[in-house]
This record gives sequence, C-alpha cells and structure tokens, in this order.
Amino acid sequence: MLSSELQPTHATAPVTVQKPHWFGNAYVQVVISIVFSAASQLLMKRGADDSVHDAWLGFSGLHSGWVWLGIFAMIASLAAWLHALRSLPLNVAFSLACSTHALVPLSSWLLLGEVIPLKRWIGIALVIAGVAVIARPLVKLEEKL
Amino acid sequence: MTAISLLCVILTELCSVAGQIFFKHAMSQPEGGPRAKFLGMFLSGIAVKALAFFLWLGLLSKFELSYLYPFEGISPVLLVLAAALFLREKMTLNLWAGVILISAGVVLVSAS
Repeated sequence: MLSSELQPTHATAPVTVQKPHWFGNAYVQVVISIVFSAASQLLMKRGADDSVHDAWLGFSGLHSGWVWLGIFAMIASLAAWLHALRSLPLNVAFSLACSTHALVPLSSWLLLGEVIPLKRWIGIALVIAGVAVIARPLVKLEEKL
Repeated sequence: MTAISLLCVILTELCSVAGQIFFKHAMSQPEGGPRAKFLGMFLSGIAVKALAFFLWLGLLSKFELSYLYPFEGISPVLLVLAAALFLREKMTLNLWAGVILISAGVVLVSAS
C-alpha cells in the first residue's frame, strides 16, 4: 500500500492481481512437480552409482551428496504435488504426472548417457500419447475458463 | 531381474500408491478442520513413501535408471483402481484410454 502511494503511476497494476496468479494454478504445480521429480531420479541414480551394491535397502546412498540433492528435489516436488492435489482429483493429477515415465528415460539418455533401444523408444512414445489423451480435454476446459 | 528384485519393485509400487491415497485424503480435509486428521493422513503418507524411497534407492544401485524406472508405470493402473475404491473418484473414457496407453508404453519399455 505504501509503495503505491509513493509511485502513483503503478496504481493500475493491482487490477491484474484480481485473477488468481498463474503460479498457483493446479496444472502449473503438476508440471513443477514433474520436473523436480525427474530431476530427483537423475540425482539419486548419480548418487547410487557411487554407493555400495550389497544391501537391498539403499541406506548406503545417504553418504552421497547427489542423493541428498535428490532428496531435496523430491521434497520440492512433493510440495508442488500437495498443492495440486487440493483442487485436482488424484486420478487426473497422477495420470498427468505419468509424463515423468517419458521424461526420465529421455533425460537419462541425454544426461547420463544411457542407451535406449528401439522398443523402449516406442514405449516412451506410447506413454507420451497416453498423457496427451488425458491432457487434451483438460487443456480445452482451461481455455474456456 | 531376479524374483527378489521383482518383489522389491512391486512392494515399492504398492507403498507409492498407498502414499498417494493418504496424501489426497490429507489435502481433502476442510481448512480449519481438525488438525489431527490432516497430520495423521499426511504422516502415514510420508511413512509409506519413505519405505518406497529406500527400496527404490536399493534397486537403483543394481540397475540402470532407464531400465528400472518404467516399472513404476504399473502404478497408473494400481492408482486409478485405488482412487476409485478408496476415494470414490469417477473414471472417464479418456482417463481409461490414457492409462492403458501409458501402461502399454511401460510394458514395452520394460521389455526392452
């Protein structure tokens, strides 16, 4: 309030604030959650590669800084996810979040240098198609609003 | 993949889906409602998610990520079933079609 008194030229700015901020949109939060989730998987793989291979629970991974970065990304992803769950049904939100199943293999190909055979490429394409089928009617709905 | 690895994968998926159901229950509590109900659901979610996390970390030390991760794709089918059963969420035709495509994609990815 004080700043608008000092700078009256900005007085028109609050008009746009009436609309909910784009960052608070549940779908935006789903996307943020997806990106952090994929990042956390890559970071944990990077960390797990440095750790001992003898146990079935990966506690030894906690010695790696990469794993801790992965945990941080996972917490960020969870925060965005919980925000999205406030207004979206779980089955819709989760299906959209399945795009991580395409994003993770694609980024482990790009960033970790893992090899993707043809069959796996087709699988990745199917996952993307599945998410698109669910997302399309939602995008139309959002445009109407 | 040995039987015990497969068992770990399935257990990870089940814990993960259970966590989502708990989280949705927690976030569906009305604002200003009893705090204990929210916390109970939220912490139960965190607990099963943590178990899934350490199982997953153990698996990651043994397999390549792009090979292992798509197994998680069984979860959309498990999840929509659990959401229908425990949250009474409605399924649409689009949602079924999408989930089946995703799962088919996942089967292909894990078979390669």
